Amino acid sequence: MTTHQNSTKAMKVVGTSPVRPDGIQKVTGVAQYGADYSLPGMLWSQILRSPHAHANIRSINVEKALALPGVKAVITGKDFPDHKFDYVGPERVAVNYWHMTRNIMAREKALYEGHAVAAVAASTRAIAEQAIKLIEVDYEILPHVIDVDDAIADDAPLLFPDMITRGVEPAPSKPSNIAKRTEFKVGDLEAGFASADEVVEMSFKTAAVHQGYIEPHACLARYGADGQSELWSSSQGHFVVRGYTAKLLGMNLSDLLVHPAEIGGGFGGKTVVYVEPVALLLSKHTGHPVKIMMSREDVFKATGPTSGSSMTVKIGVKKDGTIVAADALLKFQAGAFPGSPVMNATMCSFAPYEIANTRAIGLDVVSNRPKSAAYRAPGSPISAFAVESVLDILANKIGMDPLKLRLKNAVKAGSPTSWGPKHSHDGFAETIQVLLDHPEYKKPLGKNQGRGVASGFWFNGGGESTASVHINEDGTVIIATGSMDVGGSRASMALMAAETLGVPYEMVRSTVADTGSIGYNHVTGGSRVTFATGMVVVDACNKIIDELRLRAALMWDVDVTGVIWEDGFAKPADKSVGDFEPLSLKAIAAKRAVTGGPIGVEASINAGGNAPGFSTQFCDIEVDPDTGKVTVLRFVAAQDVGRAIHRKYVEGQIQGGVVQGIGWALNEEYIYDKNGRLSNAGFLDYRIPVASDLPMIEAVIVEVPNPLHPFGVKGVGEANIVPPMAAMANAIYQATGCRMTELPMSPPKVLAAIDAKNG
Amino acid sequence: MQKMVDTTLPQTVRVMFTGGFSRRYTEGVREFTVQATTVRGVLSAMDALYPGLGEHLEEETSIAIDGVIHEVVYTQKVPAGCEVFFIPRIEGG
Repeated sequence: MTTHQNSTKAMKVVGTSPVRPDGIQKVTGVAQYGADYSLPGMLWSQILRSPHAHANIRSINVEKALALPGVKAVITGKDFPDHKFDYVGPERVAVNYWHMTRNIMAREKALYEGHAVAAVAASTRAIAEQAIKLIEVDYEILPHVIDVDDAIADDAPLLFPDMITRGVEPAPSKPSNIAKRTEFKVGDLEAGFASADEVVEMSFKTAAVHQGYIEPHACLARYGADGQSELWSSSQGHFVVRGYTAKLLGMNLSDLLVHPAEIGGGFGGKTVVYVEPVALLLSKHTGHPVKIMMSREDVFKATGPTSGSSMTVKIGVKKDGTIVAADALLKFQAGAFPGSPVMNATMCSFAPYEIANTRAIGLDVVSNRPKSAAYRAPGSPISAFAVESVLDILANKIGMDPLKLRLKNAVKAGSPTSWGPKHSHDGFAETIQVLLDHPEYKKPLGKNQGRGVASGFWFNGGGESTASVHINEDGTVIIATGSMDVGGSRASMALMAAETLGVPYEMVRSTVADTGSIGYNHVTGGSRVTFATGMVVVDACNKIIDELRLRAALMWDVDVTGVIWEDGFAKPADKSVGDFEPLSLKAIAAKRAVTGGPIGVEASINAGGNAPGFSTQFCDIEVDPDTGKVTVLRFVAAQDVGRAIHRKYVEGQIQGGVVQGIGWALNEEYIYDKNGRLSNAGFLDYRIPVASDLPMIEAVIVEVPNPLHPFGVKGVGEANIVPPMAAMANAIYQATGCRMTELPMSPPKVLAAIDAKNG
Repeated sequence: MQKMVDTTLPQTVRVMFTGGFSRRYTEGVREFTVQATTVRGVLSAMDALYPGLGEHLEEETSIAIDGVIHEVVYTQKVPAGCEVFFIPRIEGG
């Protein structure tokens, strides 16, 4: 289902759904992922990981491991260059290389179970596995802390004895596990709440959840004798992999060529490095290529989930549904090193609504868990669970349809935000209205069934991208970008190029180039690629159209101003130019040598003008009152994407976000034992949804075009994961009368809530 | 509080900061009126008021020009009378 708003001119290929250019390779197993690469003389690496949640490392003895035949090298944290303690870059994602190098491999302390402490390179994988068991680590076990509320208690064990909370003035005199405090505030909270007819304040907890990508992290590294090195790695951004790896190892960027392997899912979790610097350093030490493949257990224990949280939200409304005040305290697990997405959450909490008085406070809290990493709209789904649950309670209290409550307060262009500037785009109200008009929304429900609604916001991204376009000798087109294809971007880039050039989609091949073959591209994340990389692809196509017009002018002996480009052909601008047959790409390419040589351009951009995404969803569920099991009967997800470039992939993104949200809502959680060890580091015990758990998810594509993108794109990858947890909680409440305030809402918790309600 | 930068450029824009940013870098002052036609001009004007601030703004922020989000790019035009709001740069997943 699709709704269009303010459609511009009709498109010929944009908005269609052709077969993806990388599809056949992927379904036939030909595509090369990180683990598929090999080189002659290659060694295998295994990483020794801490069995303790928190421990001083007194010493590491590698002699026995080095003596094992077949072992070529063993490295520890001390083999990596150390880095200055300094936060650099944007506040939300400030990088501290002192922290990063210690997350890659522990030095003074192991800070979570699974923290890397040493790595071996050996001639076979079996020998490497045997060798890490021979490494002797003398640990001094320390008290640990897992839960975020426990971590901020006065008597909590400190991960860093000198950590003083940033963002507090004057600075605290005592260290704590609170790495940073963030606050956004507008208006007068006290007066706002005083004017409310109904006020609800409630506390919530959410579990840490993993991105759950199917492909574990893997890479192959080759350090050249002259320093010129190569990496093959599956990531969401090979330029960022190059940047982090080179920085951590003290290399020049130009000495490291990173090849983009295909990626088996990332969802934010592959925007950082774990194994790449280890493999490259081992290659440097041995003179051989080195390969590392994480196991699933490694992925769970040592790579970033998104934060678990503890939150309190208070919202006040008038009887007519006007939200007059909103307050949130958000405490997020950062994992063992600072950097949770709590700042995003403070900004996103109340972003969908026009509220005169708001405050959102965020605490970034370290504890003995793997460092959190980005996960689809980082932070926003977590705070939305609390905010959208409280809104549901308020809608019930004032007797208002929950969609109409949201519609009444929905932001539009010109509405203020809780972090300062005004919203500049519409699109949210349209996602609500389309659900209000949806035929299933008013459909009666059966016994033990409930319907829940929720909405969500995500910024979407812009930023740096580069693209090149080349006209081949036969007139076909090659476009290259440096944006990893995670969600079908090869196809969407080809569609935008074909539309701009006026040629069939089949004439355009879209590739992902390595770091030596194209200029910088930022990560494939933040819902930025179709917007930003798409924008630069269009720029490059427009540049090459100018070049094609020039070549045609040379062929016709006319001035270039007399040549236009229309529907894939160079044509005379008018009859005064001359009586020339239109020239196709093939005809112009055939004369490339005599008109100046190969026809190609590269374009770069730091794209701005990005517009946010809003999603509104409703779901119908049924609760088994005897077991607490929740069955999803129907899920309808509307999202404003600006414009869908490849319609099926846009639907797929919406469905994918909802599926991950359902898993987050119902089952996914990290379970730690009393020693701080993860008990469910595998997909048998960490349960993500499978097809049989799910109904068909109806994606409703809302298109309110972004006027600052050539085709109106806003972005699609993230806003869809924001509403599902609250929508499910609200549906469970309607089905059972039980307000679920903790994620996951797994059968034991739902059953306990039902039992408690029934006395 | 509001501060005015004295330059000879005819066009003024309103520069805004979040509370956290202003506490860190501008002594709590959140709003300024400066004369500039591009983002480069805004950065230069703010750097003249608070030496070193321009670099922080380049590294840490995005900007909302009358609400439209842009990366900090020198050549970006700022229309007369517009609001240039510096906000934390966001990274997604």
